[in-house]
Amino acid sequence: MPCPICGREAVEESFCKYHKEASDNILKKYVHWKRATGISWKGYLSQIAKNPLSGAWTKEVAQYLIKLEEKNNVKIS
Amino acid sequence: MEKHTFIISEKPDAAYRTAMALDSAQKARRMSYRGVPYYVATRDKKIMVVPALGHLYTVAAKGKGKSGYPVFDFEWVPRFLAEKRAQRVRTWIQAITKLSKNADTFIDACDFDIEGSIIGYCVLKYACLGKEKTAKRMKFSTLTKEDLERSYVESLPHLDFSLIEAGKVRHEVDWLYGINLSRALTLAAKSQSGKYNQLSTGRVQGPLLRFLVSREKSIRCFVPTPFWRIKAYVEIEGKRFVTEYARKAIRTRKEAQSISNACRGHGRIEKLKARQFQQFAPVPFDLGTLQVEAYNLFEYNPKTTSNAAQRLYLEALISYPRTSSQRLPPTIGYKSILQGLAHSRNFRELAADLLAKNHLRPHEGSREDPAHPAIYPTGRLPEHFKNKTEENLWELIVRRFMTTFGEPSTQESVEASIAINNYTFLLKGRHTLQQGWQRFYEPYLKLQEPVLAQLQKGQVAHFKKVVVEDRFTSPASRYNPSSLLQKMEEAGIGTKATRADIIQKLYERKYIRDERMAVTALGLEVFDVLDKYCREVVSAEMTKELEERMTSVSSNGEKREAVLAAAIGILKPALKKIKKEETEIGGALSKAIEITRFEGNSIGPCPVCKTGKLLIIRSKKSGKRFVGCTNFFKSLCNASFALPQRGTIGLQDRVCDDCGWPTIEIRVRRKVQILCFNPDCATKNNGES
Repeated sequence: MPCPICGREAVEESFCKYHKEASDNILKKYVHWKRATGISWKGYLSQIAKNPLSGAWTKEVAQYLIKLEEKNNVKIS
Repeated sequence: MEKHTFIISEKPDAAYRTAMALDSAQKARRMSYRGVPYYVATRDKKIMVVPALGHLYTVAAKGKGKSGYPVFDFEWVPRFLAEKRAQRVRTWIQAITKLSKNADTFIDACDFDIEGSIIGYCVLKYACLGKEKTAKRMKFSTLTKEDLERSYVESLPHLDFSLIEAGKVRHEVDWLYGINLSRALTLAAKSQSGKYNQLSTGRVQGPLLRFLVSREKSIRCFVPTPFWRIKAYVEIEGKRFVTEYARKAIRTRKEAQSISNACRGHGRIEKLKARQFQQFAPVPFDLGTLQVEAYNLFEYNPKTTSNAAQRLYLEALISYPRTSSQRLPPTIGYKSILQGLAHSRNFRELAADLLAKNHLRPHEGSREDPAHPAIYPTGRLPEHFKNKTEENLWELIVRRFMTTFGEPSTQESVEASIAINNYTFLLKGRHTLQQGWQRFYEPYLKLQEPVLAQLQKGQVAHFKKVVVEDRFTSPASRYNPSSLLQKMEEAGIGTKATRADIIQKLYERKYIRDERMAVTALGLEVFDVLDKYCREVVSAEMTKELEERMTSVSSNGEKREAVLAAAIGILKPALKKIKKEETEIGGALSKAIEITRFEGNSIGPCPVCKTGKLLIIRSKKSGKRFVGCTNFFKSLCNASFALPQRGTIGLQDRVCDDCGWPTIEIRVRRKVQILCFNPDCATKNNGES
């Protein structure tokens, strides 16, 4: 299965090894953000996606997750 | 026919200086044989000083026409047989053979280091037809008349064969790594794409790529986390200061806000800590520290610095720069150097101060080099400089040399703790009590922190403004040429003479780009392939170990053959694995080459259709370059913009300050222009670009 972001070979049926690492970091750091600002998951993703200090792969994963959530919301509604 | 002494020098400039120094009237004659310059000096007898052109011989595969791998059979051959561009070397070697025919004494006067020793040895062995066994060796650290004459009179009785063995093994191991791994990668990519793209890696290049890729991955996967910092603008005895809350990072916005709210009104200086300390003068430059300092002060990349330093050495203005020593032995003649420098208007006073001292003793570093001392000025003053780089570098070396003789400087640091409503703010400052060595190094020292000498315990601090700053943690900094060089030194990979070239090679192969080094898709892929299939090749530890074994060949502890066998032992299984997985590796590399090519021509997102990317394209019809959108091929966007046809285009991540469109840099000779594509941009109307 290819990585949905870059087309490289995916690991553990999710992203490629690069985007997987970025994705793991995003998940891990949410706890800090939540404690520091009380931000929602969606708000956090959009903050990460536009923060100039975020890494390129981090931004790509954040944008992908935002789009995925939007898609899921449309389906539900 | 009268017999003469034949001296081989490393380069034409050095040959000229050597001949002039050795001629009893300092009027050596410049002659030429089939366009190859050489010099004839007269002393007790005729001396012919003939230059090499750096390396005239190199390692090459035995037998012609093979382009596959593995290749483990090699021989030393004239460079023109191995490199198409080195045809000039053929005439050069012929000239050396002819000029050495009637000589009865042979002297190697190439630079006294591994590379110089190999150059001299190969010329004496191959071009002079077996004279390496009887040749003498001149050992010098500067190209001044005194040093050259002394090294001629006191020539070493034979070449340093252990150094030559170490040099040979280094070239041979590097060749084995380079040719085999580079061919393996290039052929794998070609097998899938059908196109030839030169890919390369080497003994040092691989581990270096590891450092860069590891940093790149951590930057690209970085997630910033928020924290807060509190600053307060206070007034003490009518003077304004900026203080900072004692805890540097506050983890929640709520807490930061509550501290800020509580710190209104006025506080008091509760504690005042003053500490005096001495700072010793910096140590003399070795090549690495010179490269780092030149980058920090002037942003010269390491290659620029080493080239300029080499030219200063050939002008006899500084000592041999490719040294690892941080020591200045008294034999270099401190006084005579300072007396020479005292003739310069810029250094007269400083040199006079040092000359007035009873005893001159430099503050030295710990590193030593058996062949050369640290870099120092010869005391000779330049007539003119070829460029600003050489001028800046020479002045830096002169000042650093004088600085090492300076007294320690005495500083005082002060830290005031200001208490307000149970919260503490800190105010820090530092000032110089005794300048000491800093006087010699003044132009390069940064401004100091505020002077807090007048503050006293108990004084009232009026809090004028308290600011909560939103901050985020930052990713690790990208390597720049200077920090990467330091990293290589720490890791013990590469040599002082080759490190800058290896960094440059990574740019040429398009594995990295920009001053703040970013690894390209190709760099990431090449590293991943090497890491997956031949981890030893990119392991810094293995490279360091091999490096140490090669170095120990010069101290007779290790046999050249054993080191070569170890290198082949690492390479053989690695190459086998690459060959087996050639299809998979080739596919990944070809894809990465395409992505890197795309990245290299991509300017940024298309501001017209918002979904495509702007690319620099060259028209097949007219050969002219222009900017077009990637969506053009999908018939979604027809944005296109003309480009100047002259000059080199540099990509940059900046957008136009006025309209936000992407910009590029056009460089015509030394003139650099930033160009915005937007035809309606306000900067166009102002006559700016």
